[in-house]
Amino acid sequence: MSEQETPTPEAPVELRALQEYASVRTWLDGLRQHWGGDPVTDDPERLPIMEAFCVHANRDPDQIIKETTMIKDGERRIRLKGRERYSKLIDEWQAQVEGSRIRKAKWGNTVRSFLIHNGVLLASGMQT
Amino acid sequence: MEFKEVIGRRRSIRFFDPDRPVEHEKIQKMLEAARLASCAVNAQWARAVVSFRDDLTADQLTRLKTPVAGLNVDLAPVHIHWFNDLGTVQRNEGRPLKQLVDVGALAPTHGWSHKFVDEFVYPQILKPLTESPAYAVASTFDVGIAVCQALLTGVDEGLGVGLVTLNGATLKEVFKVPADWIPLSTILVGYPSESWDGGGQRPRPPFEDLYFEGEYGKPFLRDSAVIDELTRAKMFQEPAKPHDPKRIEEIKKLAEKYGLPM
Repeated sequence: MSEQETPTPEAPVELRALQEYASVRTWLDGLRQHWGGDPVTDDPERLPIMEAFCVHANRDPDQIIKETTMIKDGERRIRLKGRERYSKLIDEWQAQVEGSRIRKAKWGNTVRSFLIHNGVLLASGMQT
Repeated sequence: MEFKEVIGRRRSIRFFDPDRPVEHEKIQKMLEAARLASCAVNAQWARAVVSFRDDLTADQLTRLKTPVAGLNVDLAPVHIHWFNDLGTVQRNEGRPLKQLVDVGALAPTHGWSHKFVDEFVYPQILKPLTESPAYAVASTFDVGIAVCQALLTGVDEGLGVGLVTLNGATLKEVFKVPADWIPLSTILVGYPSESWDGGGQRPRPPFEDLYFEGEYGKPFLRDSAVIDELTRAKMFQEPAKPHDPKRIEEIKKLAEKYGLPM
């Protein structure tokens, strides 16, 4: 019988306050500039939803952006495989959210919005 | 609608009503307009495959979606995929030009005859052109004119239209077009679910930076009386404004309606 290595489980991500992450600040600035208002108080669920996704993905927000982008020839580019992985992960996670389709869509779209405002195009199509 | 207003009303629509079907005859009118477009040597390179979204299989629809245009493809009930049939000139060997001679569009007054086409134009100009690297670009320019006429006819019919570029290899495979057709743009068609003016006429570079008189660098003289006339004819309309609260509110509502990220 051959010995197989058992993968070491990843330690759960330890998150700081979300607004301490550069990618979250970029997201909130983008929301503020595009839509006006205060993105944190206008939708108090926004940051908790993002935090829940980070826990699900076991990544902090900056890590997510690092895994979906790269620098090539001095230019920042989208990492296609990373984007595809997160696109699927968001779809799966959204499907597990309890509640109505609207609620599920809101949770998924909150994370998509985070990626979009960080320059990672993520078209999911209609969620209704 | 008057011609100038059609030009003035055209917007690239990105929010279509996904549930409102488009009449078959309106699509036919768009294609009829394309067929009448001006085209060098009357070659007619433009080809189109009309695809009604709901007739596609789920797999086909998924394959057509690109990251940038996926949502638009989902929302638009009709997609008109345009191609350049590169082989048409060699297949026709100058016959469309001789048709123009026969109907008096090309006349001896300008040096045209069947013999000129057979012995000079086709073998010495057209055939070598089809073998030159410039051929695809030159012929695609003319397909663009046909596409534009289709686009404007769609606007005249009260439809929303928008051009997108999908994956060419996928288009060729899904719609089984001949190997030498070059896939070009797709017109998405539907009834707009956003306001027809889409927040206003979209920004353009200054006229003087684009058009010249006599030589490059000397802007074509722009007469304000002409601008006034075109404004009255509704070719010039209210320009889109950055961060327009009305437009932002509209997009928010559409995002909510279709479950889109913001």
